[in-house]
Amino acid sequence: MTKSKISTQIPMLLCLILVVAGPFAFDTYMVNTLIKAFFFAVAAITVDLLWGYTGYLTFGQSAFFGAGAYCAGLVFTHLGFSSEYALLAGVLSVVIPGLLALFVGWLSFYHGAAPFFSCVISLVVPIVVYQLVLSGGNFTGSSSGLTGFETFDFEIESWYWIAGAIMLVAAIATDIFVKSDAGKILVAIRDNEQRCEYLGLNTYVIKTLLLGVCGALAGFAGFSYGAFSGVVAPELTGFSFGTEMIIWVALSGRGTLWGPVIGTVLITVISSYLSNSIPFVWQLILGIGFVSVIVFLPKGLLPYVIRPLSRKSSLDAPIKLEEAKIQDSSVSGHAIVMDHVTKSYGSLDVLKNITLTGDPGDLIGIIGPNGAGKTTLMRCMGDGEHRTGGSVEICGRDLGKKHPEEVVRLGLGRKFQNANIFQTLSVSECLRIARTIRERPSLVRTSKVLALPAYVLDVMKVTGIDKKLGTAAKDLSHGEQQALELSMVLALEPKVVLLDEPTAGLTLSERRSIGAIFSALAHKYRFCCLLVEHDLEFVKEIATKIVVLYHGTILMQGDVDEVVNSKLVQDIYTGTKSSARNSEAEK
Amino acid sequence: MKATALEVENMTCGYGNAMILRDLSMKIISGESVSVLGKNGMGKSTLLKAIMGFLPKARGSVRLFGFDTTRTRPHNIARHGIAYAAQEQPLFTDLTVRNNLEIALKHPETFDQLFRPITHLFPVFANRLDQPAGTLSGGEQKMLLVARCLMLRPSFIMLDEITEGLQPLVIDNIAEALKWERESHGTTMLIIEQNIQFALKVTDRFQIMSKGALVDSGCCDEDGASEKILRHLSV
Amino acid sequence: MGLVLDFATTTAILFIVTSGLMMIFGVMQIVNFAHGAILAIGGYVAFVITRVGIPSLYGCFFAFIAGFLVGALIERFVVRPLYRRPLDAILATWGLGIVIIQVIVMIFGRGVQLVESPLQGTWNILGTEYSSYRIIMIPVALCIGGVIIALLNGTRFGIKTRAVIMNENLAESLGINSGMIRFISFSIGAGLGTMAGFFITPLSSVDPYMGVAWLTNAFMLVMVSGHSFLALAGACLVFGSIQVLVSIYVNPVLGGMAISVLAAATLRIRPKGFSHD
Repeated sequence: MTKSKISTQIPMLLCLILVVAGPFAFDTYMVNTLIKAFFFAVAAITVDLLWGYTGYLTFGQSAFFGAGAYCAGLVFTHLGFSSEYALLAGVLSVVIPGLLALFVGWLSFYHGAAPFFSCVISLVVPIVVYQLVLSGGNFTGSSSGLTGFETFDFEIESWYWIAGAIMLVAAIATDIFVKSDAGKILVAIRDNEQRCEYLGLNTYVIKTLLLGVCGALAGFAGFSYGAFSGVVAPELTGFSFGTEMIIWVALSGRGTLWGPVIGTVLITVISSYLSNSIPFVWQLILGIGFVSVIVFLPKGLLPYVIRPLSRKSSLDAPIKLEEAKIQDSSVSGHAIVMDHVTKSYGSLDVLKNITLTGDPGDLIGIIGPNGAGKTTLMRCMGDGEHRTGGSVEICGRDLGKKHPEEVVRLGLGRKFQNANIFQTLSVSECLRIARTIRERPSLVRTSKVLALPAYVLDVMKVTGIDKKLGTAAKDLSHGEQQALELSMVLALEPKVVLLDEPTAGLTLSERRSIGAIFSALAHKYRFCCLLVEHDLEFVKEIATKIVVLYHGTILMQGDVDEVVNSKLVQDIYTGTKSSARNSEAEK
Repeated sequence: MKATALEVENMTCGYGNAMILRDLSMKIISGESVSVLGKNGMGKSTLLKAIMGFLPKARGSVRLFGFDTTRTRPHNIARHGIAYAAQEQPLFTDLTVRNNLEIALKHPETFDQLFRPITHLFPVFANRLDQPAGTLSGGEQKMLLVARCLMLRPSFIMLDEITEGLQPLVIDNIAEALKWERESHGTTMLIIEQNIQFALKVTDRFQIMSKGALVDSGCCDEDGASEKILRHLSV
Repeated sequence: MGLVLDFATTTAILFIVTSGLMMIFGVMQIVNFAHGAILAIGGYVAFVITRVGIPSLYGCFFAFIAGFLVGALIERFVVRPLYRRPLDAILATWGLGIVIIQVIVMIFGRGVQLVESPLQGTWNILGTEYSSYRIIMIPVALCIGGVIIALLNGTRFGIKTRAVIMNENLAESLGINSGMIRFISFSIGAGLGTMAGFFITPLSSVDPYMGVAWLTNAFMLVMVSGHSFLALAGACLVFGSIQVLVSIYVNPVLGGMAISVLAAATLRIRPKGFSHD
C-alpha cells in the first residue's frame, strides 16, 4: 500500500509548499485568485466525498456553499460587522447549510430511491436556492448580490494563510477519515449498496448524515469566501457553479481527494488568467477535456500523473486476524418460523401459503425446478416489505415490515446467488465492514487487528482467503469471492443463514470443501442454515431436512431419505411430473 | 458429407467471473436434431445463451454454418437464420400475437403467406391475431413461441424447455409442429429439455449435461435410451 | 377564459420542450443533459432562418435536421461508449452541452438576439384577446404528440423501439439491432429538441444559455412521467397549470420553481410518479 502513501504524500507536500510560500512567490492578483481557489477546493472536497467516494452524483453543493456565503453577506450587511456578529455569521453558515443538506438528504435517500433520482434532486436544490435569492429583493440584493459590506480587516497575506490552512485542515481531516475503518463504508456503499443493507448498515441514514456534514463544510467554505471577497453574488448558489465543481473533481480524479484539491486550484488559477484573454476558447477546452476524461479516463488525470512515481510494494503492516468473543445468546425455540407466507405480483401468486420452521442445528435444503419461487422465498425472509401475506418470525421476533438492515439485526444473514461483495475493497476491509454492527469502526484510525468469530476464521482457512487479506475482492477467483461473501455473512454472527445457490459456478473440489463447511456450521456451531440448491446430490449429502418447492407451494417436506426416494421428486426431476400437474392446472 | 450447422469448440463461459460452462465442445450436422438433457442448474440454458451471443466467452469458439460467431452480437447471430426461444420472458406480452410474429420478419409483407402453414399447425391462432400475447394461456404462449420460430423460416432452431409446465396435448401438438418443420424444411434443431419422452420424440440424438459439461450421449432410437437418460436425471 | 388559455398554452409549450427528452429517456434510460444546448441550437436555427428569409414553416424542418445530426454525433461518440455507466453518460452529455454552448458563443457572440415572431398580434377567443403565437403552440404540440404516437405505434421502427424498451434481450435475439434503435431514437430526440428550441424562440429571445432555464423543469417532468408520452402530457398539464396559478396568485419566481419542487415531492411520495404500473 506504499503506492497509496506516495499518491497522498506528493500532492500533500505540493499543497503545503504552495500554502506556505505563496505570498512570497506570487503577485497580489495571483494571491487573490489562490485564496478563492482554496475555498473552492474545500467545496470540491465535499463533492469528492459524496460523489467520488460514496457514488452520489451531486450538482447541489453550490447551494450550500452559496448559502454559507449569504450568511456572511446578510449578517454583515444588515446587522453590521463586529466580532460577535462574525461569530454569529460563522455559526449560521455551518448550521443553516447543514440543516438544509440534511433535509435534502431526507428527500433524496430512502428505501428504494434510485441513484438517478437523488442526482436529479441535487439538481433542483441549487435552482431553488438561486430563485429564492433572486426573489429576495433588497434583503438579498437580488441579481446583483450583496457588496460593500464591512468584513474582517486582514492583510492579504494573512487571508492567504488562513485560507490555505482551512483547505489543508479540511483535506487532511478528510484524508484521515476516508482511510479510516469507518471511511471505508463510503466506498462500500458506492460499490454495493444492497450488500451494505444486508450487513445491517442503514445506508440512507449514513448518506444523509454525510450530506449534512458536507453541506456544513461547504457552507463554512462559502462563508469564508464571502467574508474574504466582500461580494456575494447569486451565481454562487447556482447550478452552473455546482456543475463546475463536478468538472474540477472529474478532471483531476474522483475518489482521490488530493486530486480534486490540486485540480480545483489549478483550474481556478488558469481560468482566471485565460478567461480574460481567450474566455470562450478556454471554456470550450474545459468542456472538451471534461467530456474526454469522462469517456476515456473515468478515474481522472491524477492517477495517471502519479502512477510513474509510485512503485508497487507491500511494506505496510499486515492485518492480524484474531478470534472475537461471541456474545452468547443461544436461541430458545425456533430460529425461523414462516406462517402462511404469500407473495403475489398482481394476480400472479409466486408463493402460496408457505409454512415452515427451522431450528438451530438444522440444515434445510430447499429444492425445486426453475421458477418454483426459491429465491422469492429467501427474499421474503430477508426483507419484511417483500411478502404480501402471512407472517415470519426470526429468533422469536416478528419480521413485520422491517427493512433488510433491521432484519439483519434480528439475527439473519443472507448470502446471495452471485458473489455479492465490495469489488474495490480488500478482503480484510470487506470483513471489517461486515463487523460494523458488532464492533463500531473508528472514524480516524485503521485498525491492524481484525477480530472475527471462530467459525469465520475456519471458513477463511479452509478456503484459503486468510492468506489474501490485502487482495482487492475483485481480483479473487469466483470461488474465493463466494467464500468471502460467506465469511462476511457469518461475521454478522447470525442465527439464521440463507444460502442462495452457493455452489453455482464453483469447481468440483470447491463444491466439496464448501459442503463440509455448511455441515460444520449447522452441526458444530448450531446455525439454522437454509440452502437453496439445484444440485440434489449436494443437498442430499449435507442437509438434515429437505423442502420441495413447486410452483410456489411446498409440495413436500421431510427427512432427506423420505424426500429423495419419493416418487414425486423423481417425477419432477425426470420431467414426467409436469404433465400430470398441468392437466389439472389448465382446467 | 453434410455441412456442419453448429460447432462449439472448448468453450468456457459464464456470468462475470463465475464460469458455468467449462471447456465444452459440441457439433451438430446440418439437418440434425439434438436434445440436451440434464437436471436444473447444470448449465443447459447457459449453453443456448452463449451460442446466441448473450454471454462473452472466456475461451473457445462458436461457429454457425461456417461463420465464426464467437464475438458476434445477438442480433447478427439471429440474422444468420437462427430462431431462439428462451425459457424466461420469451414474448412481448404487451404486443399483439400478430406483432409478436411479425416483428422478427425480414419482409413483413410476406406475413400472410408465412402464417398460412401456422394456422394448420396451431389452429388456435387463426382468429386471435389481435389479442395481446400476455392474455394467452401458458400453453398458447408456448405454441406462439414455436410459431414465431417457424415463421422465421430459420435454418437452425434452438428451444429452451419449451414443454415446461404444459399439458400432454399441447406437448404433442408442439412435437407434431417440430416434426412437420423438419420434414418439410430439414431445419437443424437444438433442444434443451427435461421431458424425456418429448426429447426422444423430436430429436435424433441426445446429450446429457451435468455441472457445465457434456457427460454422456446416445441415439434416441437405440434400445434403452430412455433408461440411460433416466439414470442421469434421477437421484 | 384567459386562465384556461394560459393552462392550455403552458401545457403545450412544456410538452413541446420535453418530448425530445422523453424520447431519449424512454428508450435509453438516460436523461440527456445536453438538452439545454440542443434547445439553443434550435433557437439559432430560427435566428439564421429568419435572417436568410426562409419561411418559418420550412424552418422547423431545418431545425429538426440540425438536431438530428448533432444527436447522431453525440450518441455515436459519447453516449454509446458510456452505455454501461449511466451516471457518467449524464455527465458527459452535460459536458457536451457546455461545448455546444461555447461553440455557439464563438460563432454568434454571447449577446441576446431577437427573432421576430412569424405570427404577431392577438386573436380573440370567446371574448379574450390572446397572443396568437401562444395559441398556435397548442396545435403544434398536438401534432408533435400525434406524430410521435403514430411513429411508435404504427410503424415498424416504432414497434422495434417499443420491443427494445420492453425487453432488450428478446429484441436482440429476434435480430433487432438495439444499438441502432438507440442511435436513431437519440437522434430523433435531439431533433425534437432543436425543433422545440425553434418554436419557443419567438416567445423569448435567443441567447446561448436560453435552454438552461428550461432544463430542470423538463427533467423533472420526464422523471415524473416514467415511460409514457401520455403520462408526460398529463404531467405537463397538471404541473403547467400549477405553475400558472402560482405565478399569477403568489409570485412569478415561485411559479418558476413550482414544477421542479412539486415533481420532486411527488417522486418522494410516489417513486413511480405518474406511470401507473
